[in-house]
Amino acid sequence: MSGADRVVAAERGAGMGRFADGGPLLWPFEAVRGLYRSAVLVGLTFLQVAVGVGVGLGGARVVSSFSDGSSAPLVLRLLADAGEALLAVVWVAAAMWIVHPLTSRTLARAARRVAGRWLGLRFEVEYRTVPQVTRMSTRYWWDGHEYHKSEREARRRAGMHARFHDPQLHWDGVWVLVAGLTVMPVAALPLLGLAGGAALVAAGHPGSGAALVAAGLVAAPFAWRVFGPVAARFLGPIPRSRLGRRIAELEAVRADMTQTQAAELERIERGLHDGTQARLVAMGMSMQAAERLVEADPAAAKEILAAARASSFAALDELRSLVRGINPPVLTERGLVDAVRALALDAPVEVSVHSAVPARPERPVEAAVYFAVAELLANVGKHARATRATIDLGYSDRTLTASVTDDGRGGAAAREGSGLDGIKRRAAAFGGRLEIDSPAGGPTRVTVAVPCDLS
Amino acid sequence: MRLVIAEDLFLLRDGLVRLVQAYGHSVVAAVDSGPAVLAALLGERPDAAIVDVRLPPGFSDEGLQAALAARREVPGLPVLILSQHVEQLYARELLADGRGGVGYQLKDRVMDADQFMDALDRVAAGGTALDPTVVAKLLGRPLRADPLAALSERERSVLALMAEGLSNAAIAGRLFLSEGAISKYTTTIFAKLGLAADDDTNRRVRAVLAYLGAAGRDGG
Repeated sequence: MSGADRVVAAERGAGMGRFADGGPLLWPFEAVRGLYRSAVLVGLTFLQVAVGVGVGLGGARVVSSFSDGSSAPLVLRLLADAGEALLAVVWVAAAMWIVHPLTSRTLARAARRVAGRWLGLRFEVEYRTVPQVTRMSTRYWWDGHEYHKSEREARRRAGMHARFHDPQLHWDGVWVLVAGLTVMPVAALPLLGLAGGAALVAAGHPGSGAALVAAGLVAAPFAWRVFGPVAARFLGPIPRSRLGRRIAELEAVRADMTQTQAAELERIERGLHDGTQARLVAMGMSMQAAERLVEADPAAAKEILAAARASSFAALDELRSLVRGINPPVLTERGLVDAVRALALDAPVEVSVHSAVPARPERPVEAAVYFAVAELLANVGKHARATRATIDLGYSDRTLTASVTDDGRGGAAAREGSGLDGIKRRAAAFGGRLEIDSPAGGPTRVTVAVPCDLS
Repeated sequence: MRLVIAEDLFLLRDGLVRLVQAYGHSVVAAVDSGPAVLAALLGERPDAAIVDVRLPPGFSDEGLQAALAARREVPGLPVLILSQHVEQLYARELLADGRGGVGYQLKDRVMDADQFMDALDRVAAGGTALDPTVVAKLLGRPLRADPLAALSERERSVLALMAEGLSNAAIAGRLFLSEGAISKYTTTIFAKLGLAADDDTNRRVRAVLAYLGAAGRDGG
């Protein structure tokens, strides 16, 4: 058995801390690796401590010079000292607060990579994503929190907000601070032993110097292991109470809803502005032209009027499709079940509808479920390569469910930004959920469930 | 003709009354709510009725329901339904009794007075007058293993126009064919759909029903 094999074995066993079963090559290896890891850990954790100590010491020196040589009574001098100490503390806090948003995320990410490589620890961490910006009908840009005059400004502010108002960033800051106070001093011990020993030898104390170097080497395989428990406790996603999680969910839902609403209003505004309004203007102009021509050239006037009438048909058509997108008339007239039947009749594949909903749900829920089913059916037509689909509407445990099943090729998933993701978010706005069962090769069954009361 | 008109918007109701009067018809009742239209239809027994789908008090489908209820009492009572939007669902419900005398049109069609009055005449005569939009939606559906799959492309377009309620002469005009050719096509269509030769209007309605895939083809 060669040394290289043992190294591999040691590498594998490192996470579980068993390394004492090896031969003579293992101890030096462990010592060197420990020194390397200690150095990396110190590099990843010293920053805030260095900033704190540096600014603290420098600040203390500067502020203490304010009252140097003062011959005031003792009480006043004590008061001045306290004030100076307070000022130094404020400076330290300010410096750390400035360094934190710029570095914490990078340091925590690097620490997570290292923890993954050395200890096999995996962390599922989510940072805030930059929200889309939307142009409102007022011509201002909405970033989910504020209005801005230009798109660039809105994007910049949205980016800053996502980056600096991220709770995970602050939790990363806690890691940097805690690690600086725990991991850093321990990991620094073997390195200090080595450096101190070398200095002692150079200063002419070979005995004690060699002892210190030896102590550092002995400590090296163990010192970096302090990283494990601290990392497990502080490197993960931000721990939140159930209430906190709920608030975060609701915040996300609210931001989503304002975005969706803004986009929806914009769509309606554009539809009215580019379609109906433009056509009405054109019709008015045509009629004016016809009015002028009616005596001189009645045939031409007639032609213009015919064109104007055709234009009015087109305007009505556009209004109809716009209204369908806002609130489908058949939903108002007949309620969810018949509206879904009407959808099924218009679908490109054969769709059967089964309903066990005893009464009409609340109107907003009805509309939400209707639009979800409409989108699911459109997906069946677009992506599934299905030949038939089934819609099941049901109500139990104060929850309205709508399932769309198709015999297509399956593999549907709610990827970020996809239609299914949109349905999921809109269902979440009503406290509902989306379940997708779509193995590759099909069949696909997607269920929207929304809690509601029947009227 | 003696007509009943049910429309809740005053301007449109007034316009409809003037329009039909200009074409020499008389309006025996012009009403604006669901219960009133049912009473007028059963009380007056008009030659035809023009009814808006959405009427007070509920502003849902009171007009349609009143028309369906009236036709249950008086089978085949001619009704032309108007709406801001057309749904296959409603077309099926109107045609389901297989008796004809049914129209279902977008309100926009009122702007073309000649065609609109033509549709009204067809309905009063026991025929059908479906809006081209509904027919277009039907055409968009995939073919299945049903009798319609046996029809040729040309036969299907003839059937589509038949579904709108056009006569052979009118279909010939639209397709630039002779009336004789259209009559041959319709005979083939009836044969392929297995419709026995009886009263031609009724058979046309049932061909449309087969097209809609609604009621069975063995009635009447």
